[in-house]
Amino acid sequence: MAVMLPRATVAYEVGASIAGGSRAWRRFALNPAALVGSAILLVMVSVALAAPWVAPHDPAKQSLLRRFTPPMWQTGGNAAYPLGTDQVGRDVLSRIIHGARISLLVGVSAVLVSLVVGVSAGLASGFMGGKVDTAIGTVVDVSLSFPQILLALAFVAALGPSLVTIIVVLGLTGWERYARVVRAEVLALREKEFVEAARAIGVGRLRIIVRHVLPNTVSSIVVMSTLQVAQAILAEAALSFLGVGSGNAYPTWGQMISLGRDFVTVAWWLATLPGLAILVTVLAINLVGDRLRDALDPRTI
Amino acid sequence: MRCWLTGLFALTLAALVVPIGAGAQGKGTITVALPSHAPTLDPHMHFERVGVLVNINMFDSLLHRSAKLEFEPSLAVSWKALSDTMWEFKLRKGVKFHDGSIMTAEDVKFSFDRVLEPGQEKKKSPQYGNVRAIKEVKIVDPDTIHLITDKPFPLLLERLVYFGIVPKKHIEKVGEDSFGSTATVGTGPWKLVEWKRDQHIRLEAFDQHWRGKPAFKYVVFRAIPEVATAVAELKTGGVDIIRNVNADLMPDLKSHPQTRISTTPILRVHYISLDMRSAPFDKKAARQAANYAIDKQAMIQKMMAGLGKQVATVVQPAAFGFDPSVAPYSYDAKKAKELLAQAGYPNGVDITLHSAAVDWRPHFEALGQMLTEVGLRTTVKMWDPGPAWNKFFQAEGKATNGQYGSWGNYSVFDADAVLHPLYHTEPGGWIGKHYARVEGLDKLIDEARSSVDQAKRKRIYAEIQRMIREEAPSVFLWTQNDTLGISKKVAYEARPDEWLWLFAAKPAN
Amino acid sequence: MSAFLIRRLLRFVVVCIGVSLVTFSILHASGDPVALIMPEAPEADRAKLRDALGLSDPLPTQFVRFVANAARGDFGQSFFHREPAFGLVVERMPTTLGLTCLAVTLALAIAIPVGIYSAVFRNTLGDHAATAIVFLGQSMPVFWIGIMLMLLFAVQWRLLPVSGWGTWSSMVLPAVTLGAFTTPLFMRIIRSSMLEVINLDYVRTARAKGLSEWLVICRHALRNAALPIVTVTGLQFGLLLGGAVLTETVFAVPGVGRLIVGAIRQLDFPIVQAGVFLLAIIIVSVNFLVDVLYVYLNPTVRLH
Repeated sequence: MAVMLPRATVAYEVGASIAGGSRAWRRFALNPAALVGSAILLVMVSVALAAPWVAPHDPAKQSLLRRFTPPMWQTGGNAAYPLGTDQVGRDVLSRIIHGARISLLVGVSAVLVSLVVGVSAGLASGFMGGKVDTAIGTVVDVSLSFPQILLALAFVAALGPSLVTIIVVLGLTGWERYARVVRAEVLALREKEFVEAARAIGVGRLRIIVRHVLPNTVSSIVVMSTLQVAQAILAEAALSFLGVGSGNAYPTWGQMISLGRDFVTVAWWLATLPGLAILVTVLAINLVGDRLRDALDPRTI
Repeated sequence: MRCWLTGLFALTLAALVVPIGAGAQGKGTITVALPSHAPTLDPHMHFERVGVLVNINMFDSLLHRSAKLEFEPSLAVSWKALSDTMWEFKLRKGVKFHDGSIMTAEDVKFSFDRVLEPGQEKKKSPQYGNVRAIKEVKIVDPDTIHLITDKPFPLLLERLVYFGIVPKKHIEKVGEDSFGSTATVGTGPWKLVEWKRDQHIRLEAFDQHWRGKPAFKYVVFRAIPEVATAVAELKTGGVDIIRNVNADLMPDLKSHPQTRISTTPILRVHYISLDMRSAPFDKKAARQAANYAIDKQAMIQKMMAGLGKQVATVVQPAAFGFDPSVAPYSYDAKKAKELLAQAGYPNGVDITLHSAAVDWRPHFEALGQMLTEVGLRTTVKMWDPGPAWNKFFQAEGKATNGQYGSWGNYSVFDADAVLHPLYHTEPGGWIGKHYARVEGLDKLIDEARSSVDQAKRKRIYAEIQRMIREEAPSVFLWTQNDTLGISKKVAYEARPDEWLWLFAAKPAN
Repeated sequence: MSAFLIRRLLRFVVVCIGVSLVTFSILHASGDPVALIMPEAPEADRAKLRDALGLSDPLPTQFVRFVANAARGDFGQSFFHREPAFGLVVERMPTTLGLTCLAVTLALAIAIPVGIYSAVFRNTLGDHAATAIVFLGQSMPVFWIGIMLMLLFAVQWRLLPVSGWGTWSSMVLPAVTLGAFTTPLFMRIIRSSMLEVINLDYVRTARAKGLSEWLVICRHALRNAALPIVTVTGLQFGLLLGGAVLTETVFAVPGVGRLIVGAIRQLDFPIVQAGVFLLAIIIVSVNFLVDVLYVYLNPTVRLH
């Protein structure tokens, strides 16, 4: 029998996951795809953070004289505008760089919103059980029944285009999986003896959460978040395409494609280059996320 | 498992290899790309431009307008004013509807009554506002009707050019709903074959049309929401005519071996309505500053390929009542800054402009930039035409400083058709009641629209134009062209009233 | 089993009500459609239209009426089309579902051979290349793929029609576009399922017996993969339907997605409600079916 001291058990559990963690880390770090993806992301994020200094021009500066300048490797191109200019003469490269900020901001913020909502919902569901659990479960089902794009479209169209609206809406349409994972973890944990023992000696719920639930779910959450950032970026692009983007002069990549798509036959770079930017970023995120999943989940080959 | 796998492959391969079935493209068909279809084919139950374009090819009105914009007899062979408020129209004899029945004065009266709905509280037709001034339609004899207006209505003939005449007995038989969707019958050059919603409307030439047979046997209106798709279709022969070709796409279509461009100036005028109820545009100097800030010529040359004309006010040169002696605001950034300082903003001021003119977004952004350069630091916000109207025109409390838009006058070539909606405040033009607050303007507009003395009206409109030029309730911009992309296989030219009068289209040789 | 079914059914109903609530409240938050239908009419006329459409009743009343009608399939007349909204939506549903199914089929058609190849020639250049290409599909915005494909195949090379829907050839580009992002998921499942099978003992035995190696491997692997593929398709269905909206817009396909997008912009409540409701029901039903199939195909779960 031997009542194991809670602390020892905890140490064992946490220790095991850390040890497993470093093994996983090694597996991840040695994978070429993961390295490439991480490198790309690193570049992307630094460029985005340093945008005002890295971008050659002010992304909002228009010039009627310089409209539709092609990229510099085409005839009529200009080295001052390496990727050409758009329909009001704004530099495409600068807009893409600044757009990186917004796209990444939207992606990360939306996922943060999802995380907060999802983890809270999962915790509430798992710990409180009963009616709360059923209620939240129903909300999850309802939320999952809508195609994300349509729901987002309806919300944004109804409330008016704005960056905050988009972030909130995208966040509110992706939280379900976090809730499920956290809930499953909480339920699994409740079974364990040492938790009951801990409760018996008065260890608060919060500590249980922090020390047990979260560490075990971290790996799943990290993987899911990574992939969801990618999805959020694609979703924002889709919303802009359907005409309900942030509505402003903020140059998001999705918006650039939306504005440039009418001119695709005469100025291919306007819609194609931001699309490539999205592609590269999302690809990098997917590569990293995918390898993370492989590394952290011992079941896959 | 293997079997259905192979089957799958075969299917995919077959799909790729099957020869291109180009749909309804046969000889004698002319195909037009529209961004969407109107909700109904009933000419009285919608107010969408895309619907009007289809309706004018299926229905006739009392009057027609030639390509030179002169009134021509259509279903009415002659007309005269019997008094200030009564007009007599003699109807054409022997006009057949698509179902074979003959058009009479009964049908004309029925058409007007179903929109005017005398005695009815709730008016069903969105066209009501256009013909509201008509109080009564009297049948004098089977070929003569009288139109009686409640006040002198100078725009009567204009409004009649687009007012389709529909068959009374037929509608009573099949009901309004199927009339608008499957059993649409008119007197126009083409009759309905089928309407697949969101896909295409297919029309067939009506052999017994009173004008004779059109050159094309079939007309197909395809609904293609994406510009790039429509352009691609034009280039590959999937459609023959596309509308609203952006100035930047013109060179591509001009140089493509299969396509060409036809362009002509139209009534549509662009403006920025300024909110005179709140700062900074409650000050005249600020409004004038905004006018001086825009380099209109540069915009027309660089962004519209020169296909546009600067206008002094919102009244267009082709409209009745236009006064050429009113001088437009020049481009003078220095003066703009001075005026802005005079208005009390030496360090500039932040404003927000909204617009629902999604096709003109680049221009809107350029305008915002020019205003910013003189100190009116502009945030441009673009709305979808749907919710846009609501946010603006319902919630008056919300702060907006101005709206960029364009007005097509519903193809009515009269100054009233733009002055009233833009500037009238009580009971109110569509836009005017939310923005403009020019003293005395309402009274002048009312006076001009209730007189049929053209000379008097011209005088009043001249006065109005001078007044609004000085008061600058809007930033006055330009009129534009209507630009069509046309297949080289079709001979058709754009019209100054934005109509697609396909009866005039012929196969090119 | 029946207790399970009953519980799921109850859940189904509750979810549907939740769905209606969400749809209902979003759209009513957005503004006044009457101003859009009759923009030039004076306020008095507009108030009358509002009454006629039932828009001036208190919200709870409107909601109850909505749910009661929805149960009968009555979503009212579309404000713009003046036809029953539900009918309009149902009319277009086969197109959208057809597009989605075709997309899934194409995705499978590509994923199966590529997945098998990837597994057999694991970790070779070919494997990595295949993975990379398939990943690409998942990382591109759906509408961007659509536009690029259209430009290439329809305008540049004139192999396929630019837009429209009706002939087999006009369905290819939209289906490929929509299927692009499901392909990698399927491929991965097939690949890992193949890898599992390749190492199973009885497969080695079968090989020893001289059966065609390929036949054995493929049949077992695909059978293994069937369940996860079905599950994934079910879960992805919502995403697919969402992607269908974008594809329909680019290629002018007359489906439900395009209808709903247009209706949202015009604040045509009945169509949006009918459309979103129907789509949600389909998704919920698909999930329900997936659950049932899962239980059926995976006996260990039955005892839960």
